[in-house]
Amino acid sequence: MREKIKKTGLLLSLLVFFLSSASWLLAGGDLLIKNATILTVTGNTIPNGDVLVINGVIKQIGQNLTAPAGVRIIEANGRYLMPGIIDTHTHIALSGTNEGTDAITPEVTMAEVVNADDTSIFTALSGGVTMVHTMHGSANVIGGTNVVLKLKWGKPSEELIVKEAYPTLKFALGENVKQSNRTLLPGRPQRYPATRMGANALIRSELMRAKDYMAAWDHYEQLKKSKNPPANLLPPRKDLRLETLADLLRGKLIARCHAYVAPEMIEFLNLSREFGFKIGAFEHAWEAYKITNELKAAGVGISVFIDSWAYKMEAAEGIAYNAAYCTQKGLLVSINSDSGERIRRLFNEAGKSVKYGLTQDEALKLITINAAKQLGVDRLVGSIEVGKQADLALFSQHPMSAYTRCEMTIIEGDVYFDREALLKERAAASTKKGGLS
Amino acid sequence: MKIKNMKVNRIKPVLLKNKNQLVFLAALLGLTLLSIYSFPFPAAAQTEDKAEVTAIVGAKIVPVTGPVIDSGSILIRNGRIADLGANISIPSGAKVIEAKGLIAYPGMIDSYSWLGLEEISGVRATVDNRETGRINPQVKAIEALRYDSMHIPIARANGIVAAVVVPSGGLISGQSTLVKLEGWTNREMVIKESLAMIIELPALRRSRGEFAGFGRQQPQVTTEKILDELRQIFQKARMYEKRREAARKNILLSPPDFDEASHFLLPVVKGELPVIFSVHADKDILQTIKFVQEEKIKAIFYGVEQGFKVAKEIKEAGIPCIIGSLYSLPPVWEDGYDALFLNPVILNQAGVKISFSSSSASTAKDLPYHAAKAAAFGLKPEEALKAVTIYPAEIFGVDKLMGSLEPGKTASIVLADGDLLELGTKIQKVFIDGKEVSLENRYTELLKKFEQREADK
Amino acid sequence: MNKYLKKMQSAFVRPVAMVFLIIVMVVMASSLVSSAEAGSQAVKPAYALVNCRIFPVAQPVIEKGTIVIRDGLIEAVGPAEKVQIPEDAEIIEANGLNAYPGLISAHTNLFLETKEQSQTAAPEDYLAAFSQPTEPKELPWLQIVEKVKPKKQTVEAYHRIGITTVVVAPHEGIFQGQGVVLNLNSDQVNEMVLAQPWALHINFTTERGVYPSSPMGTLAFLRQKFFDTQHYSQHLQRYRQSPQFLKRPEYDPFLEALLPFVIDKKPIVFQCNNLEEIKRAVKLIKEFKLNAVLTGCNEAWRVSQQLKSASIPLLVTLDFRPPASSVYAQQGQATREKAEKEIYPANASNLAKEKINFSLTSFGLNDTNFVKNLRAAIKAGLPADQALRALTIEPARTLGLDKQLGSLEPGKIANLILTKGELFDEKTSIVKVMVDGTLFTYEEKGQ
Repeated sequence: MREKIKKTGLLLSLLVFFLSSASWLLAGGDLLIKNATILTVTGNTIPNGDVLVINGVIKQIGQNLTAPAGVRIIEANGRYLMPGIIDTHTHIALSGTNEGTDAITPEVTMAEVVNADDTSIFTALSGGVTMVHTMHGSANVIGGTNVVLKLKWGKPSEELIVKEAYPTLKFALGENVKQSNRTLLPGRPQRYPATRMGANALIRSELMRAKDYMAAWDHYEQLKKSKNPPANLLPPRKDLRLETLADLLRGKLIARCHAYVAPEMIEFLNLSREFGFKIGAFEHAWEAYKITNELKAAGVGISVFIDSWAYKMEAAEGIAYNAAYCTQKGLLVSINSDSGERIRRLFNEAGKSVKYGLTQDEALKLITINAAKQLGVDRLVGSIEVGKQADLALFSQHPMSAYTRCEMTIIEGDVYFDREALLKERAAASTKKGGLS
Repeated sequence: MKIKNMKVNRIKPVLLKNKNQLVFLAALLGLTLLSIYSFPFPAAAQTEDKAEVTAIVGAKIVPVTGPVIDSGSILIRNGRIADLGANISIPSGAKVIEAKGLIAYPGMIDSYSWLGLEEISGVRATVDNRETGRINPQVKAIEALRYDSMHIPIARANGIVAAVVVPSGGLISGQSTLVKLEGWTNREMVIKESLAMIIELPALRRSRGEFAGFGRQQPQVTTEKILDELRQIFQKARMYEKRREAARKNILLSPPDFDEASHFLLPVVKGELPVIFSVHADKDILQTIKFVQEEKIKAIFYGVEQGFKVAKEIKEAGIPCIIGSLYSLPPVWEDGYDALFLNPVILNQAGVKISFSSSSASTAKDLPYHAAKAAAFGLKPEEALKAVTIYPAEIFGVDKLMGSLEPGKTASIVLADGDLLELGTKIQKVFIDGKEVSLENRYTELLKKFEQREADK
Repeated sequence: MNKYLKKMQSAFVRPVAMVFLIIVMVVMASSLVSSAEAGSQAVKPAYALVNCRIFPVAQPVIEKGTIVIRDGLIEAVGPAEKVQIPEDAEIIEANGLNAYPGLISAHTNLFLETKEQSQTAAPEDYLAAFSQPTEPKELPWLQIVEKVKPKKQTVEAYHRIGITTVVVAPHEGIFQGQGVVLNLNSDQVNEMVLAQPWALHINFTTERGVYPSSPMGTLAFLRQKFFDTQHYSQHLQRYRQSPQFLKRPEYDPFLEALLPFVIDKKPIVFQCNNLEEIKRAVKLIKEFKLNAVLTGCNEAWRVSQQLKSASIPLLVTLDFRPPASSVYAQQGQATREKAEKEIYPANASNLAKEKINFSLTSFGLNDTNFVKNLRAAIKAGLPADQALRALTIEPARTLGLDKQLGSLEPGKIANLILTKGELFDEKTSIVKVMVDGTLFTYEEKGQ
């Protein structure tokens, strides 16, 4: 038995080699999954159901379906099939996390630093995760633009990017940006902002600058188009930082704001009203339960941990009821991992919300359709419905149970994680090496 | 095991007599332990007539050490389980707790935690589990234990009734303590004031990082070197004792100067106080087994991420293993993505005594989920349950007192509306030493406070 | 400002087109300075290498031929019967020896005081951004020729592996500065210079503690600088024509240094330490229509399709260590070692199969590893003749020096090596090396 494990590394590397060269593991986007307990998320649970996938899209859901010749059939034996899990806040599969030097760096683009080689992708797949919102870190008030990826392990980075998702811009508030937990190095001044007041003021000023920038370009375009353009008309300097903020103000980007305590969320809502930009969701939002009225009125959802708390002062009132309570109050809630480790047990994290008041069906939504809605991809993924992309995860038991295990992860009809196949390879490799067990 | 069988088959009068014997036996045992470890023994001197009796009735009972009783009752007297079974009669005047639809389990024991030593990990003023320096056998977790930590009621509300609290951050990090999660002062919580010395060997080299996973240092020195250093430290302690002994016998000899480390390591080198070795790589585990055998010390292993590779050797050495947090990635990629989950399964199958730990303060409540995770990867659910109840009790030498539902044991009972290790399960009642404890905690208090906002509207 | 101006002058007043003149100067200089290795002749002799097997690279192999060298240049190459040996030529009997053009390594950090940079930056440490700031190393105006301190020992070590020409590139910062092409004819910098400056070197690295401290920050920083240069140029131009309605553009030494490369399209070398950096570079090059070369590229085979369509010259290092970000480096030591031994050596042959032109370099390697890895690349399927081209005519073209270097042809610089055995064979020794017509003789292997 233990020899089997010893060989895993070799096997996994072999797997990678195969993935990068051959397509034997990828069934080409056609599949028939038989006899599964189908947790559709948006509809009723179907016991002993079949799902037919053609060209990566769910073609048919029902019972006793037949597949065209040559289509791979997966026998689920009553195991649980759910939509692929979507993590709305991670930093995996990137070459960098924070441009943490300046307080304002919206010019940086995470989509440009995707690293499809990151083994965290495999780790996430092993927990049924098929899609991630992978983000700039929270070291500065305005970070960069984030990116949504499908975890197509072995495919080149450009094929991972989900272009249909909302383009989002990372904001961060509180202890991280005011750097209150950092020891100042000798000779290094405290960075502005050092308070929540400063953080808010900084955002306001930067957005005012962006407005001026937009006006300068408008003015230039106007002059350029005029009948008698002035001599020596020079365009304004292109400023990537302000360009991004202008896109936010134009509604082309949606803010995702890392915030913990209630007042900073309320004030960010006010800023969004003041400047007319959209907020996709508050990240972490540990004190959302204190201001459900305000959040609901603004139509802003939250992307939160279930119970990882008390790691800093602003997380000391983060209660495990937050996700369940806010859901019950009508907010759009998703559970995120924010970690290359927690991501593989995100289903467990969602499952905990049952203890705090949700039903299993409601809990499932936190990591599927709700997450899809927050990322603007709910017409593509997030539930098992005919016409949606076949991003699926097969579990040994109900995914909201502590005793469950991810058996298979499928993206657009291609199998990217298959525990059974992996175990077979392990066994084969240990025999090959002369192992007895 | 024998005790349980006797109990089930006796008719009532005999049972009572028998129970008397049991209480006496347990008291005797307790006193013996007391003389060694000086833990306070719950008052058992009162006569049973005067004692209040609590009866939990109609519950499904999972004693852990015996077969499940589909519907039965538990009698609690003097903080102890007086009796339990499907058909026991309830004494008149007993306080009856109707538990229909609920399942009674023994309370869980967290085998490795920072409960009471760490409130908000990022706020240094609230962190008391890491002493500076490397060699600190003199520091005792019990002496800093914050008994009203906000994390304790949360863990309790998840069915955890006792925890090992450990100092950390050095080579010899100090003395751990075993406490029940109830009491008005730190001393009131004590089960074993000084449970085991904590020795932390180098961590496994991580083949890859995880986001925000900083904190674990790459090993600077090999375990071999560290064990050599420990050998010298232990030898010094032995010589120190010999010289002191000699000086005691011979007035002409002067005693050695007080040596703090040697002094506080004496119970360890004498084999009286166990050591919890934090040890991780397979090779390091083998070296540590050798070390433990040569030095003739009592050992418990903690962490043991690559234990599965040397399960046979661990079994042969008879060293129990506390599994570290499963909320972690395998430190060595080659071991396989599921190595940490399979590790307890393989160790258990090899006959190694294992127990689970939260390795945390703020998520100590997740102890049952670590056990369930291993169950998801092949550990038998009964074994998973044992590894958070009776196995840790046995490992820490308190199995006569706790870890299962048996007459004579302290009444630390959890009433749950479902499987104890399951995520959605709600714990309805918790008894510690027979006393029902509050399940209110920071979570529920804050929730109530802000639910009030709605009510006020 | 004066300091900057001076640097600007040294950087740009000498156009690359003057390379020819420089060569003449070098030749004159070397005829005046005595060369110890060559036997202290004040005037370089004319040589005739006779009876050798010649691999001219540009032409088919000559089984028994003669090469005439005069004043540091090749005067004639051909079969023995067709080449007349001049009367004043010193005859070098080369029977049993093979003659090849001297090899070119188009990316090294030779002769620089700080130690050679390891090929790859580690993946971003979360804390790196917050560590103590260092002085930014952004020096686009830096002329590395001013920092080069040649050592005789190194020159000889490179002769022994057949390398006679190197690019010395700066190696700190993102905008690293401008490289120089050196002929390894001596240890006197001015004598050695073949092309100065060669190109602007850019590396996708990060600053520590100051902006940009992350890969995405670096990309934004590069892009902003390119936009700024365009704007600066436009502004300068307008202002020069007529200052009416215009503010005077403030002098910006950074952008000034970028003008020749961003606007006048002089070559920029992008160092690509992994697969993703190749893609990022290609994207930037297209976006700003740059005249660019990629260096590093030991994962180039993984993006061969994109490289094929982009047709950007490649300087491929023979450093086979998987970059830290690579899937081959993240799965334990065994996988990494296997990849270094079996996968990365096939990079060049995979590119060759895809008919992608490339040069090979010793970037990131010392002399022994270079030879070892070159053999490994050939063993992994790279045809020997292609390996030879990748170290001679291909880099000569990329450097814009194919009139001067890269093959044994009349009129080209007399950079050649004489070997006992086929160049890339294990047992082969390089016994004679000629650089700029100066002859160096070395002991045979095992003697």
